[in-house]
Amino acid sequence: MKCPPFSYHRATSVDDAVAALAAAGGEGKILAGGQSLVPVLALRLARPDVIVDVDRVPGLDGLELRDGVLHAGALVRHLALAGQALHPLAAEAARWIGHTAIRSRGTLAGSLAHADPAAELPAVLRACDGAVHVAGPSGTRRIGADDLFVGALQSALEDTEMITGVELPVPDAWGFAEFARRHGDFAVVSVAAARFGDRLRVVVGGVAGVPHLVDAGDLATVDGEISEDRVAILAAAAADDVDPADDLHGSARYRRALTEQMTARALEQLTTTVREPA
Amino acid sequence: MTPTDEHAPASGTPVRRKEDARLLTGRGRFVSDLALPRMRHVAFVRSPVAHGRITGVDTAGALEVEGVSAVFTGEHPAIAPVALRAQSGLPGYVETDQPPLARGKVRFAGEAVAAVVADDRYLAEDGAEAVVVDYEPLTPTVCAWAEPEHPVHEEAPDNVLLSRTFRAGDVDAALDGAAVVVDRELTTNRHGGNPIECRAGVARYEAADRKLTFWSGTQVPWIVRTQLAELLDLPEGNIRVIAPDVGGGFGVKAVLYPEDVALCLMAMAMPGTPLKWVEDRVEHLLAATHARDHRYVLRAGFAADGELLAVKADVWCNTGAYSVYPWTAGIEPLMAGGLLTGPYKLTDYECTVRGVATNTSPSGPYRGVARPSTVFAMEALMDSGARALGLDPIALRRRNLILPADIPYKMPSRLVDDSGAYEACLDKAVATFDLDRWRAEQSRRRTEGGRPIGIGVGVYNELTGLGRAASAGPRMAFRTGHDACTVRINPDGAVTVFSGVTSQGQGLETTMAQVVADALGVDYGDVEVRYGDTDESLWGFGAFSSRQAVISGGAAHLAGEHVRGRALALAAALKEAPVEDLDLRGGEVYMAGQEKPIISLAEVARVAYLQSDRLPEGFEPGLEGTKFYDPIRGAFAAGAQIAALEFDPATGEIGILDWVCVEDAGRIVHPVIVDGQIAGSIAQGIGGAMYEHLVYDEDGNLSTGTLLDYLMPTAGEIPELRIGHVSTPGKNPTGVRGVGEGGTLAPNAVVAGALADALGVEVDDLPVTPARVWELVNP
Ligand SMILES: Cc1cc2nc3c(=O)[nH]c(=O)nc-3n(C[C@H](O)[C@H](O)[C@H](O)COP(=O)(O)OP(=O)(O)OC[C@H]3O[C@@H](n4cnc5c(N)ncnc54)[C@H](O)[C@@H]3O)c2cc1C
Repeated sequence: MKCPPFSYHRATSVDDAVAALAAAGGEGKILAGGQSLVPVLALRLARPDVIVDVDRVPGLDGLELRDGVLHAGALVRHLALAGQALHPLAAEAARWIGHTAIRSRGTLAGSLAHADPAAELPAVLRACDGAVHVAGPSGTRRIGADDLFVGALQSALEDTEMITGVELPVPDAWGFAEFARRHGDFAVVSVAAARFGDRLRVVVGGVAGVPHLVDAGDLATVDGEISEDRVAILAAAAADDVDPADDLHGSARYRRALTEQMTARALEQLTTTVREPA
Repeated sequence: MTPTDEHAPASGTPVRRKEDARLLTGRGRFVSDLALPRMRHVAFVRSPVAHGRITGVDTAGALEVEGVSAVFTGEHPAIAPVALRAQSGLPGYVETDQPPLARGKVRFAGEAVAAVVADDRYLAEDGAEAVVVDYEPLTPTVCAWAEPEHPVHEEAPDNVLLSRTFRAGDVDAALDGAAVVVDRELTTNRHGGNPIECRAGVARYEAADRKLTFWSGTQVPWIVRTQLAELLDLPEGNIRVIAPDVGGGFGVKAVLYPEDVALCLMAMAMPGTPLKWVEDRVEHLLAATHARDHRYVLRAGFAADGELLAVKADVWCNTGAYSVYPWTAGIEPLMAGGLLTGPYKLTDYECTVRGVATNTSPSGPYRGVARPSTVFAMEALMDSGARALGLDPIALRRRNLILPADIPYKMPSRLVDDSGAYEACLDKAVATFDLDRWRAEQSRRRTEGGRPIGIGVGVYNELTGLGRAASAGPRMAFRTGHDACTVRINPDGAVTVFSGVTSQGQGLETTMAQVVADALGVDYGDVEVRYGDTDESLWGFGAFSSRQAVISGGAAHLAGEHVRGRALALAAALKEAPVEDLDLRGGEVYMAGQEKPIISLAEVARVAYLQSDRLPEGFEPGLEGTKFYDPIRGAFAAGAQIAALEFDPATGEIGILDWVCVEDAGRIVHPVIVDGQIAGSIAQGIGGAMYEHLVYDEDGNLSTGTLLDYLMPTAGEIPELRIGHVSTPGKNPTGVRGVGEGGTLAPNAVVAGALADALGVEVDDLPVTPARVWELVNP
């Protein structure tokens, strides 16, 4: 459990980091909070030639609300996200991540780039139909949440790209529910639900390679209050829509049942968290 | 204030722990902290296959890695001649070899095949990656109750290393006469000790004087020294084993491991170069001893009034790939058969136990050895019996408990129970818990809604402080009944104690100081305790089977009393006073009827060491003494736990609402240490009952190889525990009973019992996880 050999570059700016990644020719890896990468290195599951440490790059920890969208810097810590009031869904979800020590080091962009399908923040990004801003050798681009997550621990980022910022639209109403084995564990199943006008987005974590956006068809369009019956129907639809696999922490059948339960809980919360009109 | 108040006994009070100043300020001295000049680091190459012949090992690539100085394999001339052989005189026991590094074949995934020595651990791991080992796979056996295709050891074609039948009375006749007969088939989940500090060792060999020093995070330095001497062919006095501060043990470190022997052999092949190996968590989960992978096929008969008439049991214990040194494959099965009936009276009993080799990591002692499983089995029979008879499960237990009037009680396995405090523990636990209130809440929820509540109970006996007549271990070449202690009064009157104990965090330094301070008549603060170093103290077997408070504490008390006698005799001679009128308290000698001391212990000691001209006729200089103690049998410690749990049928979520434990620790030396032992062991028991599970796939790969999948409870999962005591002093010098393990024994039974009580489903396989609860409710 010791890292394989690598060389280390402490980046001073985004440009510096991107240049270092380019110089590594695809064999570089960004280090942010280190809460996922360091264990991966210790188990020798990754062998980058160069570690590009962005943890002290200045100016990447901003949190700003503009036109109903939270603009967050790549290095916003889970703890800061949990403590802010601008985006209550993101705050609630961030509180579910690990323990204090992990939340005070781990970063928003690190979690999104790591793309763990059971992680909280990827589910939130997808539920809010957010996006990441990415810098690379050929300039910057914006990747929408639906395109960012490709598979388990796989994102659409190139090896030479870095997330610099995150857009998280603030929903009109939201709900979050999670079932984990212990306090601070990755979710067995989590559900993030967000309502924008008459549109409902329900995302389930822990049931597929990527955070799963529930295809609820017409059910996803809601008008006015969401009734108890509607919650139950939507929860059943979510359970129908997921296709989980068996693993150590539960059977596919069990995860499907949890999906229904967590969706119901998230939607019940959503019906009580309507944002005050600005 | 009278002198007696001022010098109140240290025992029975929560004196400040001596070890805490260094442990709590980060100044502990662990093997992991040790740095020696010229020290190099070792990484083991571990087998990725569970069972296979080794057809080639190529170390050339590793030797080219920067910083690598040596690579050892099982065929290396320094390693090849040595094998560990755990021995037992039990009839039918199949003795097998365990090589320090695999030779010829590998028997479990994780077995050490080669070792790389390098300048640091990173480079050693780089080297380990470059060692190429070829395997010809053999079919692995993972399950101890499955037919083997390729036996693990040639010597045991059916993989059974040991089997024994315990028999008392006529179980079939008793079953025939029973009003109800219940059958249960249970399996318990493999898990392990997982101390915070994994295994660790530093070995240094000085060729000039043929001296080996082995710093080891072991619970049993003396046993390690004796065995190393045999294996390495060195005089025992040339070996020094030092167990400094050790970060938890729980039994896992009461084993001499092949890695330990390999490290010493490699150090002997590289004289003058200290070699360090610190196990990481992945290695620990993979290759440190596991435990509790058992199956119980049970039948019990009860009379209509609830009397337990018969128990018939077939037990399989998964021994893993090797019979652990020195405890053998018998460690779990023999404990299972010997203690299955627990605190219940029974005359007709038949139980066949087996230790079965498989291609998995070896099983060894883990806090509670086998009894968390047997208590689960026995209490499952009690609960099933109560349901079948329509009786209250607690009343059914009471009906069968061994009572004070029955003591000494010969169990059907012929162990002799000296406790009888079970009912007292159960009564106090039930009262503390307020059973009526919880039963009322249970029915309220049944009618008004809310998550169903279940109440689970476990009553148990902990076999502690085993003397020579009931020695731990299956007829091994040694008996672990005694320990020794030397008490030395220094020339300044302060006291140094050389104790045979070891401590892995459980505060033995403090406990021994308390016992000696009181036996001798000095202040707790004036007693310093040395332990864990075979060059610094006398023989002691170390920490296992809740023995040290009873046995080492007994030796400490006797040694203290003995030296007190010597000191008073000298004081009497010096002051020309009758010795029977003298008393030693707080380091001062008092004469009956006088308020002021007549002489200080410091002055007496000064005379004893430095002023032989003042020594009375016939007095040898010096003021110290050594005593051994063996309780011959041991002290059974009673305990009962009762808890209320709630279950969410929709998600399987389990909530612990209240948990009460009452134990009989006899006379308590340090109340906070005792409660800490009980709380910690209940937490480990809850871990085993609800979270911890080492899972192998059918190819023999460990699926739970990191703490991401092997879940241990954190402070967040363990409820506030309510701990109570009853006290029936044990028949030993300090009146204590062991408390190190009891807490682990009940949680399996409590959690499974609560689930059955809440939802009416019987759980046969542990652990009780949310997924399992949900599956049982939604079959
Ligand atoms: C014990 C423990 C428990 C945890 N529990 C949870 C949990 O319950 N839920 C949860 O969601 N997470 C959990 N985590 C993971 C934690 O949230 C991590 O902080 C997060 O996944 C990664 O963020 P990081 O800043 O630490 O990234 P790092 O570990 O530094 O990097 C992770 C990956 O992201 C890449 N990366 C980092 N920053 C960027 C960037 N700006 N642009 C492009 N790529 C980047 C890295 O190259 C690497 O591949 C846990 C971690 C631990 C150790």
